[in-house]
Amino acid sequence: MVGDALLELKDLNVLRGSREVLKDVNFKLNYGEIVVLVGDNGAGKSTFIESCAGIVPFKNGELYFHDEENSQNLIRNHQGRQSNIPKIGVTLQKDGICGEETVEERILIVSEKSYKNSDADKLGQILSDWGLNHRKSDRVSLLSGGLKRRLSVICGLAPAIFSPKPMPVLLDEPSVGLDKSARILFINWIRTMASRGHGIIIATHNNDVIKCADRIIKIGKKGKIKESIGKSEGTIVEMPACNSSSNLISIRDLTSWAMKMEIRNPIDTVGRATPALVALLLSYSIIEGNGPLSVDILSSLILLPAFITCIISPAIINRFNEAECGKWWHIMLGSKIRPISSFLGASMILPIPLTYLSWFILIGNKSDEYSYDALLWLWLPTLSLITVGMASSALHFLVSDLRRSNSSAGSLLLIALIWPFLELSDALSILMTSGMSYSLSIQSPIIGCIIASISSMLIWIVVVYLPDY
Amino acid sequence: MVVTKGASLLFIIIGLVGASISILLGFIWVPSLDPSTVNGPESFRIIYWHVSFAWCSFLAFLLLFIGSIIWYLKKDEIGWRCFSVGSDMGLLFGMGVITSGPIWGSVAWGKPWDWGDLRLNSFALLTSVALFLVLARRAQQDTNQTRDTLSIVGLFGFSLVPITAMATTWYQNQHPPIVVVSSEDTGLPSDMLFVLILSFISFCFIFVGFSIITDRIHQLELKMENNQINLDEGWLN
Repeated sequence: MVGDALLELKDLNVLRGSREVLKDVNFKLNYGEIVVLVGDNGAGKSTFIESCAGIVPFKNGELYFHDEENSQNLIRNHQGRQSNIPKIGVTLQKDGICGEETVEERILIVSEKSYKNSDADKLGQILSDWGLNHRKSDRVSLLSGGLKRRLSVICGLAPAIFSPKPMPVLLDEPSVGLDKSARILFINWIRTMASRGHGIIIATHNNDVIKCADRIIKIGKKGKIKESIGKSEGTIVEMPACNSSSNLISIRDLTSWAMKMEIRNPIDTVGRATPALVALLLSYSIIEGNGPLSVDILSSLILLPAFITCIISPAIINRFNEAECGKWWHIMLGSKIRPISSFLGASMILPIPLTYLSWFILIGNKSDEYSYDALLWLWLPTLSLITVGMASSALHFLVSDLRRSNSSAGSLLLIALIWPFLELSDALSILMTSGMSYSLSIQSPIIGCIIASISSMLIWIVVVYLPDY
Repeated sequence: MVVTKGASLLFIIIGLVGASISILLGFIWVPSLDPSTVNGPESFRIIYWHVSFAWCSFLAFLLLFIGSIIWYLKKDEIGWRCFSVGSDMGLLFGMGVITSGPIWGSVAWGKPWDWGDLRLNSFALLTSVALFLVLARRAQQDTNQTRDTLSIVGLFGFSLVPITAMATTWYQNQHPPIVVVSSEDTGLPSDMLFVLILSFISFCFIFVGFSIITDRIHQLELKMENNQINLDEGWLN
């Protein structure tokens, strides 16, 4: 098996602005091989690693993964991501771990193992070897920089350690922040993993790590690469192994991860509910101070708190931005990440209780003045508001693709969501004055809600599918 | 470089002089409208700048759209240049439309903004997209990924036009239209049309002059960035 390719880049060109950071790169990662990338700061080492992970846009070229039958799977070309990446191990330059996760949770996510199976003790063994077992229940945010880096390295290695099949492992500056003993351990482990057939690519400046390379690739000026033979240092050591197959990271993993993070630290719920409640109290003050308002304004004020919860930036974006955590999920889930994240990031539950609360506070004991249908059908415009939330969440995710997304005025794009809101306000005001109508005319509240939902979903579709089309 | 700078300045000066003359003519030469055909006949004179702003911003948004499409499909540098110039010009002229529009609207319609007016809202949306693009382009590192994302935002802006059309049409159907004594379809007298065309041509000169300068600045920024990268590499080696 040694000598066959696990991963292949063909005629790769990657641009950074108008400059080619990688030019005409042809590269194969063979079974059981350690390849070290070297080059100056900004030469393109991280871009090379991210190209192998299939998350960097190519100007030209293709990325293939080969399976055991040596058939090629096209992962990415100049037209974007073509298929899902098979299981790989990845350590990103900035760890790729959210601070809310515990050490143990993280290892379990990357290695796709559960507590109940027979490999749980092997996970404990890995953590012990790296001096993290006593920290396994701690949140990652509580670890020191060095310990965090150790965890990040283990997370890159763990999928391969627990896989009976050889796989590519991509490590970006793994030795930065590691002390000498951890560095020696790391070098011996990757040598042992290579002996088991795994192919490893490491971007580094560290001489000890460079010495363990079988092949060294220098990324030079103008994005050209030069290859040389390495010293293949490192000792094969005893390390945990596993022969049970594990699954690919799935949408279910992301969903359960997102829910776990929110339950542990509900910043999304609090961040959405607080401004909505402030708006509700302000609306109440306005109504109390100014006497009866027109139905149009009243219906807008009733829906306003729910609308505010829908357009606030989802907390999952901040979690993804923390230490490039989103980049790791992007590598694992490919183009599926955008629709599912915009769905997970949308405010799904809050609009309903907030709208009813808003109704009871703003209308109070004056509900007799309005049609009874309004209260009966209040859920309808509220449900439509959830589609507005999905469109808003997708827009926030689009802006978060930018490297410095916090310095972009993404809220300017949310102006497009005013129309669905106005339409829903109209639908509610018709419900309040004339009650429910089941006709298919434009004046019907049902049609109003449908149009608002369709316009929001059109925005969602454009924003979710254009980037990966 | 000197020729480009001279030509662009000449275009801008000619444009500014023409625009000033057209607004002066608008006030002192062309007649006022019949008060029975429009609300606020004197405020109607803002048309000589408002319409020119609108037509030029339409050109800018067209350039932005073409640039977005070219970059999105071909990753061609010319597409990015069109995109950069289009977003800058779209912001400049779009701001002209959405500031002059409400001034006119508050007299003619009795309110500065109408959520049911398709043109007004489309221009506002496209201008806000252009503002986002200009701010984001300045704040981000110029990478392929940044360009991809921003070109998608550019395309998103244009996809909003039919969505807005649908939403505003429905909204107009829900609400009684604003009472304007006569529609804008009424043909303009020839002297008014002359001033309007003079104004538009002058604004086109300004548009071309600023476009040349903007493009030149972007090219120089790119050149400087590449030189800085070369200096970084030279220093490290």
